[in-house]
Amino acid sequence: MAKRIGVYVCECGTNIAEKVNIDRVLAAVSPLKDVAVAERHKLLCSGDGQEFIRQSIAEHGLTHVVVAACSPKQHEVTFMNVCEKAGLNPQLFQLANIREQCAWVTSDREEATDKALRQIRAAISRVGYHAPLENKEMQCNPDVLVIGGGIAGIKASQVLAAPDRKVYLVEKTSSLGGKVKGFSKLFTNMESGPGLITKEIKSLLDNKYVEVLTESEVEQILGFLGNFEVKVIKKAEDAELDFNVGAVVLATGFELFDPTGLPRYGYGKLDDVYTSLEFEEMNIPEGPTGGKILLKNGKPPQSVAIIHCVGREEKGYCSKVCCIYSLKFDRMLKAQLPQVKVSHLYSDLCIPGKSFQKFYEDTRGLGVEFVRSAKTEVAGDGKGININYETEGGGKSELAADMVILLPAMEPASDAGKFAEMLNIPRDNKGFLVEEHQLLGPVASAVEGIFVIGCARGPQSISESIVQSEAAAGKILSALVPGRKLELEVRVSEISASFCTGCKTCLDVCPYGAITFDETRRISVVNEVLCHGCGNCAAACPSGAASLKHFTFPQIYQELKEVLR
Amino acid sequence: MVSTVKGALFPAEGGVRERILAFLQKAISQGCFDAVLIPVRAPGTDSFTYSLVRGESLLENAYPLPPVMSVQGAKAVSSLTGHGKGKKKIAAIVRPCEARATAELFKLGQVDLENIFLISLDCPGALPLADWAKDPQKTEEAFTEILKGKASESLRPVCRICDRFSATGAEDLHIGTLGAEKGGILLIPHSPKGEGILDCLGLTTEADISAWDAAVNSLTGQRKEQRQKFMEEFKSKTAGLDNLLDTFSQCINCHNCMRVCPICYCRQCFFDSDNMKFAFADYLNRAEMAGGLRLPPETLLFHIGRMLHMSLSCVSCGACEDACPTAIPVAQVFSLVGGQNQEEFDYVPGRSRDEPPPLRVYEEDEFEEVEQSCAGASAQQEAPNA
Repeated sequence: MAKRIGVYVCECGTNIAEKVNIDRVLAAVSPLKDVAVAERHKLLCSGDGQEFIRQSIAEHGLTHVVVAACSPKQHEVTFMNVCEKAGLNPQLFQLANIREQCAWVTSDREEATDKALRQIRAAISRVGYHAPLENKEMQCNPDVLVIGGGIAGIKASQVLAAPDRKVYLVEKTSSLGGKVKGFSKLFTNMESGPGLITKEIKSLLDNKYVEVLTESEVEQILGFLGNFEVKVIKKAEDAELDFNVGAVVLATGFELFDPTGLPRYGYGKLDDVYTSLEFEEMNIPEGPTGGKILLKNGKPPQSVAIIHCVGREEKGYCSKVCCIYSLKFDRMLKAQLPQVKVSHLYSDLCIPGKSFQKFYEDTRGLGVEFVRSAKTEVAGDGKGININYETEGGGKSELAADMVILLPAMEPASDAGKFAEMLNIPRDNKGFLVEEHQLLGPVASAVEGIFVIGCARGPQSISESIVQSEAAAGKILSALVPGRKLELEVRVSEISASFCTGCKTCLDVCPYGAITFDETRRISVVNEVLCHGCGNCAAACPSGAASLKHFTFPQIYQELKEVLR
Repeated sequence: MVSTVKGALFPAEGGVRERILAFLQKAISQGCFDAVLIPVRAPGTDSFTYSLVRGESLLENAYPLPPVMSVQGAKAVSSLTGHGKGKKKIAAIVRPCEARATAELFKLGQVDLENIFLISLDCPGALPLADWAKDPQKTEEAFTEILKGKASESLRPVCRICDRFSATGAEDLHIGTLGAEKGGILLIPHSPKGEGILDCLGLTTEADISAWDAAVNSLTGQRKEQRQKFMEEFKSKTAGLDNLLDTFSQCINCHNCMRVCPICYCRQCFFDSDNMKFAFADYLNRAEMAGGLRLPPETLLFHIGRMLHMSLSCVSCGACEDACPTAIPVAQVFSLVGGQNQEEFDYVPGRSRDEPPPLRVYEEDEFEEVEQSCAGASAQQEAPNA
């Protein structure tokens, strides 16, 4: 069938008409081969303009349409819909951007007209080579995968689980509860951590819409918002579980900076130097001392020094919760050992927020000493621990203590790297997973459908982690409505079986895991559901086997040929 | 270059060829490998071709270092294993450039080296195929002189400036003959498989390799100098579109250079495909625009396209130039362009089997100067409107 191309040039009010001589453009374009009609309109994106194109398509029996107007970012979809309404496959359309890329950036009217003409000729030449790609859609999957069974993961799962939405909660250890389970008291109300988390875990386990997978590792996640394929290994049973979800929440938590690397704190060398988490453990009834604060020799300490900011300089950030929970430690110490002498060695005290100031003042009232210090060094002489430090005035001073509690920095959990790589989520230079936007997208990630909450993003308090759980859950609830259809990308990659040499270069450059290798045929194969049509494979393929639909070699050649003519 | 490397002495008598063959024969009889893939002189003829041999035919007809490179060794290895490995263990005897091309093909999934022992040799260079076809006897005599250590202008131009004529790191085992006195050859392992061959022969890596090392280093230095000098001059003759058009003006579009290139592994060359065939009207358009059109078209584009595809993996083996019926210095152009591109990425093709090809690796902080110059250019363009 002969091609019948319609060309419509938009005046865009005065935006285009002022800079481009549209009559000259139409006069040059009309006689071109295959052009059936070429016309101008005041504002093609308006209802009137859209109707004008629709009628013209029918009247002239067009097979292809070119619109010369604004950026495809603005109205490509608008005009593709017009084509569809007129019964034309929307891919048989091309937009020439003569506003942003021409009228707005070219000062001379003659030059702007020449440039517009080149762009329109290129679009006409290209559109004749377009293929009518068929729209594809699939059911959106409302289920959610939550990775990490700490407080953040538990709270997100609770909000999300519902009769029409299943939640898979994957935890690599054998039990839920994360770090909070080990905190005997929580600031500032001194509630029991295990008590609080046990209630939350129970409510989660009672929820039949949550499948809890402990001792399990996520092996693979492929896909996009509404359609992720997940592979989980259940380590205890050595079994593999495959399922699909629509969104993924990463709540992989934190670990403590290891103070062994900083010998000046004596950690690992001296008996009674503990990290904050070890001190917490000492305070829970199931802990090694049955909940009693004891030295290694079995006696209670007479004096305790709490050293702040361990690793802050090395890591390059403040972990923001240590100062606050150290005040909680004071309360725990004084409650159990009213006579104990407690000294804080700190460089900056960070106690923001409405409830902490009072907590701090009340703690001071218990007779706790706060010493501003620098260059702290912990040494032992076999009898006790001696701490040397520099005072605020620059002088040298020292302090004896039976027990030292270090407050090390919070680091991303060791899994952060694994998930960053698996999901293509960037990490900051400290190793934390990066949010989509610090201010505007605090719980979303750079990958649509993947959310990052709690300490996986950076140091957070329990309440902040929970706020983020609920925020991510809210975003997921509004995006993954059960029954909603997802429109799939039709401009996807295809790999020619007869050209592919099986070098696997495309597998290395595909950011979506959309290409697999067929070992029997020794060629690469594209999964069209996972492909986003980024074109990396087509650019990297050394043998011309990979090409991108709608951006094929002949289509691009036709366009370039006319632009450069 | 390889001073930390250790080697073993395999005792043998005779010329280089005899000593190498004695080693291969011994290794086969000890069961170190089952057969050898090696250039063989077809009995009663002047043609060399890679063949799988063992026993008598190995000793009588095999030439580990033939005077010419009639088939690139990497092509031989890929035709044997490109569609999967076999059960037999095969020792492939190749020149260093062939070993490096094989390593590149390995990275691109075009060879299976699991049951291949890649063994390279100190390479004296090869003579042009055309000379051999014209006068085999005279060419062989010239090669005999070269084997004795004589520098010769009759070597192929890329061989004369080759600075990677010895161990490369891509092979399992390297045979060192340079600077070594008669009485044996040095066996220098570069992989557990190479070490396995020494174990199999009951050899230990205790040989004094300093004389070989010194000879390799000294010749490498000389060649580097020669290469630099040559390339400076050659660049002035070939750089720029006009010079490039001149250089390739004799091209008859036979695509032989592509067919013999070990790295050109596409099933069908893009330039032979329908993607490069256009309607009559297109050609007419182009002829009108340019004031004329050379037919068949895309002759220079083919070479530039091949440079774009191949230059990061080009090992300067010279096969393309040997195959050119119109004596275009294809290999020299590729060596010049390839050398520059490889330097940009700090990449030496075939230096290691594990080093990924540069275009598969994304590094955020590379080519910042290019980014900056682009940013500068666009800032300048935008300035008048700002």
